[in-house]
Amino acid sequence: MENQKKSTAAAAVSGFFKAIGRFFSEFGTAVAKGDIFVKLSLLWWGAGYVRRKQYVKAIIMTVLEAAVVLFTIFFAMKYVPKFGTLGTVKAEKIFNPQTMKSEFNDYDHSFMILLFSLFSFVVWFVAVIVWIKNTANVYKLQLMEEKGEHINTFKEDIRMYVGEKFHITLLTLPVLGVVVFTLIPILLLIFVAFTNYDQQHTPPTELFTWVGFKNFITLFGGGGLTSTFGYSFVRVLAWTLVWALFATFTTYIGGILLSLMLNSAKTRAPKFWRTLFVVTIAVPQFVSLLLVRNFFADNGIVNTICANIGLTGFLRDVGLVSTAYIPFLSAPGWAHVMIIIINIWIGVPYQMLIATGVLMNIPSDQLESAKVDGAKPFQIFVKITMPYMLFITGPALVTDFVKNINNFNVIYLLTQDVYVTTNQALANSQAKEVDLLVTWLFRLTQDYYNYKMASVIGIVVFIICAVFTLVAFNFMIQGDKEGTYQ
Amino acid sequence: MRKKLLSMLLCATMALTMAGCGSNPDDGSAGSDKNGSSENVSGGGASDETVELTLWGAEGDQDFLKDVVAKFEAAHPDQKFDIQIGVESESTAKDTILKDIEAAADVFSFASDQLNDLVKAGALLNLDEYGEALTMADKTLDDVKSANVEASVEAASVNGNLYAFPTVGGNSYFLFYDSSVISEEDAANWDTLLEAASKTKKKVGMTLSSGWYLASFFYGAGFTTGLNDDGTTTMDWNGTSPDGYTGVEVTKAMLDITSNSAFRAIADNKLSDSIASGDLCAVVSGTWDAENAEKVWGDGYAAIKLPTYTVGSGDQIQMRPAYGYKFEGVNAYSKNSGWAVLLAEFISNEETQLEHFKQAVQIPTNKNALADESLAENVAVTAVNSEAEFGVIQLVGGKYWDPAATFGEIVAKGKLKVDDDQGIQKALDELVAGVTAAIE
Amino acid sequence: MKTRKMKDNRLSRIILHNVGLGILAFIWLIPIIWLLFTSFSANSEMNTSTFFPKEWSIKYYIKLFQPDTVSQFPQWFINTFVVACATCIISTMFVLMVAYATSIMRFPMRKPLMNMAVILNLFPGMLAMIAVYFVLKTFNLTNSYAGLIMVYSASSGLGYLIAKGFFDTVPRALCEAARIDGCSEARIFFQMVIPMSRPIVVYTVISSFLVPWMDFVYAKMILNAGISSKYTVAIGLYKMLDKMLINDYFTQFCAGGILVSIPISILFMIMQKFYVEGITGGAVKG
Repeated sequence: MENQKKSTAAAAVSGFFKAIGRFFSEFGTAVAKGDIFVKLSLLWWGAGYVRRKQYVKAIIMTVLEAAVVLFTIFFAMKYVPKFGTLGTVKAEKIFNPQTMKSEFNDYDHSFMILLFSLFSFVVWFVAVIVWIKNTANVYKLQLMEEKGEHINTFKEDIRMYVGEKFHITLLTLPVLGVVVFTLIPILLLIFVAFTNYDQQHTPPTELFTWVGFKNFITLFGGGGLTSTFGYSFVRVLAWTLVWALFATFTTYIGGILLSLMLNSAKTRAPKFWRTLFVVTIAVPQFVSLLLVRNFFADNGIVNTICANIGLTGFLRDVGLVSTAYIPFLSAPGWAHVMIIIINIWIGVPYQMLIATGVLMNIPSDQLESAKVDGAKPFQIFVKITMPYMLFITGPALVTDFVKNINNFNVIYLLTQDVYVTTNQALANSQAKEVDLLVTWLFRLTQDYYNYKMASVIGIVVFIICAVFTLVAFNFMIQGDKEGTYQ
Repeated sequence: MRKKLLSMLLCATMALTMAGCGSNPDDGSAGSDKNGSSENVSGGGASDETVELTLWGAEGDQDFLKDVVAKFEAAHPDQKFDIQIGVESESTAKDTILKDIEAAADVFSFASDQLNDLVKAGALLNLDEYGEALTMADKTLDDVKSANVEASVEAASVNGNLYAFPTVGGNSYFLFYDSSVISEEDAANWDTLLEAASKTKKKVGMTLSSGWYLASFFYGAGFTTGLNDDGTTTMDWNGTSPDGYTGVEVTKAMLDITSNSAFRAIADNKLSDSIASGDLCAVVSGTWDAENAEKVWGDGYAAIKLPTYTVGSGDQIQMRPAYGYKFEGVNAYSKNSGWAVLLAEFISNEETQLEHFKQAVQIPTNKNALADESLAENVAVTAVNSEAEFGVIQLVGGKYWDPAATFGEIVAKGKLKVDDDQGIQKALDELVAGVTAAIE
Repeated sequence: MKTRKMKDNRLSRIILHNVGLGILAFIWLIPIIWLLFTSFSANSEMNTSTFFPKEWSIKYYIKLFQPDTVSQFPQWFINTFVVACATCIISTMFVLMVAYATSIMRFPMRKPLMNMAVILNLFPGMLAMIAVYFVLKTFNLTNSYAGLIMVYSASSGLGYLIAKGFFDTVPRALCEAARIDGCSEARIFFQMVIPMSRPIVVYTVISSFLVPWMDFVYAKMILNAGISSKYTVAIGLYKMLDKMLINDYFTQFCAGGILVSIPISILFMIMQKFYVEGITGGAVKG
């Protein structure tokens, strides 16, 4: 897993551009040097294959070409021409008492125009690649024929897809799934960040349109709006980073310590203990977190117990609490700490499982020699166990950090409908002290239909994650050159 | 060649699915065109085609709605129906509907404060344009308008057009109290109420961290909220009201109440819990908690209009609650809008309203149903009806709720000091700035 | 001298160590124990004054199996089970396919694809949700289990890294030998690598099976017609905590939570072994 990460970003980028260059030069050569059939296949994709007697392939390519053309005429042309304005015709309707139905005009739906235009772009993009690749291929066939080499029959071509081209067979469906359900939605929302799609401009009744970088300017304090998006953004971002840092490292270290404890020679029935901890992650989060939220509610059971044993009174005397209850999840500070603690509760068993797996492989000779040298357990932990863990799970740690930046469940389930901020500036832009960027953007879309700002925040989250990941990986690449544990 | 199989599949799948679904977004128009030519019973509207409708109502009303739908189908025996009933509580209807209007139910119930947002988003049929549909039920829209209380019809109208059928009135809050420890006179004003409560070691509960409850103090002192055409909210709480009180004075009066040890501020969604816990001897809530309160207080259970509170110079101010209704609306993008209008009307007619009251203590808006004697026996109903004359129909936009809840929370948590006039004024200014902000 | 001292302490240390573990485990289990006890309460609403219920009863478990308009637990359970099975099959296939292609095979697009996967994983999924909804709506798949299954499994290929880590440990020489013997890649995949990778297969199967039981955000968005009998367990139980319902259904929510947790816990217990093995395998090569 680590080997792939070693390729530096620069090498990846240059390799990528080289590949593109190769791709186009192949095409150029094919067009320049190909025979009439190669040139003809620029128009009719199947032409070259017919010449080389690959009839099935010729049919497939022809059908494919026809599909793209039909798609363009009957589908794409309905939406793509409106892409520049995102629609101009508003919905109107009249009632027809005869049919008891409403009759609508042929109105524009901005979101559909955006979505289907994007679909069309993706299809066309793929079609162009197929077209270029197809031409290069046909030229290759021409060369093969000229040299008198064997040209594959269709059966042989098919067989390649379980042989050396098996990866294509394997990857087609997963990649298609990712394209439709991840890539297109992400691209779509990048577009939305440049529109005015919000409550005032919600299809189907209203139309929205392009506004350029206006939303980004609003986020960073410009735009002259009274609402304080910029102010809130900084607060929410700060807590997001603090949270991600604490959530990642507390569970990580907690997991290692717990797994060391469980795997210690002194532990009796380690499997039994481990199972007990695993049960807590087996309860679905929406059950366990909603439960814990009620557990720590202002009038919940924990507060009752604390009041009964006098803890609440003590905290009031000390001045940590100003209310009649302990505001575990309802006051800033308290809520922040509680959220991190509750996350430890949920996250540590999971990290414990991972750590157990990794620690089983720790080179025992190193541990032995350290023990012979008289190292204390704490020294062994700091000098051997932790570096080894960090080396093995470093990349996973980075991924965990990114996951925590986007950790929706914990924050949403613990604070939604419960936490009311007392910071008016935050409230004025619908944020709370305990919001992560993702929960904030979720509420912006779900409760305020402010899709454009949510998209802008989403892009910012992505940039933060990307920068962090790049820096972290580069840092780690420098660190692991010794290959101590290989 | 490398990516050919992949690309081929990709294109083919897309082309096929696109072609199949291409007409989807225009389904509304395509569907109606097609059906325009289908045979109809002249003058009527019943056709052989099965009319598919979805209906959304609150969780607690599901059985009730099932009966209503059965009766509706029986009332139109010539027409085949397929009516699905879904769960969507009135208080969250707007949130769900605006996420995707076209996917929302044909007929849905919602609380009156959502009307303006729904109209603005074009989610509701303008019933004045669809009055003809009611001929199937031998009614006209004017019949409906005159059958219901004027205030409810007015609340369901925007710019003189009716956008929904009123179904439930008295969607407001008042004071429940335990008459075994608090007398009716004590319950008339906050000072005596809190004093009586402090003697019993029990608390008086009210939600402040919600714009719905919070507003009662300000409305009482003559302050207002309003809604502009562009969806922004107007608010004057940081100034002086027409009655001559300042927002600072009102806030101070609230702080006096919240700082009393007999007062307990309750989170918005914890009211029912708190009543059930038995720690309270009085609470501000609505008819939905009547059963809860009766269970806890037994014979002592009583209800009365909201108390008055003391402002600066000693004046007693009557709190004026946000007084709302529940409406039955029809989706503007409904495929069977005519039948949807009929169903919505049926749900709001006299008989159904009365039945709704009997089953779920939902107060009618229909004048005849309101006159039914079964209503007078219910103390909660009497209490809320007594507020009808001074309750305020709350007109606010989406930006109102979060800043208002936060202001309420600040007061509830005692973050403002009673003697800090400047601090209070600043908080009020901030509140007004947030509420009246432009919708970006 | 040192060894003697250690010996003296051994018994007391072991006891101390295990008691420590016991205390930790107890803290970890308190909320779960509370869930269990509360589910046996005779009152429908939350008990905030005592840890243990005032009266014990199993009536809310019985009620779970007597569907009313709000609670249709048996139906939800079946729905979720169907979705989970389909999700599990598709996701497992996708994950293993991607992992095999990126781990065992070498082809020019390999690096760019893997880099793309890293980048895509950085986008907040919540953001894409509304767009996913409209994509599904375009294909008329909202309010259908097919749509839900697609959402859970279509992008599962992105989570291939753990499985890839494991496949990386399969000795390369073995694959080479098979190739020289004339085995097709497909045969190497199905007949060699998969049987050798039982821990990771089991891990992938179980973890993808669990997704529909845990998710409520996507389910809530896609099954938006409000028809209770079509819910999955997660949304059904989540809706029980609506502020209008919580007092009548809190104990049922707890009982439902317990009933869902039991099979999941069992799966988790099976999984932890394979999970640890899978990680172990993945980490060996370093």
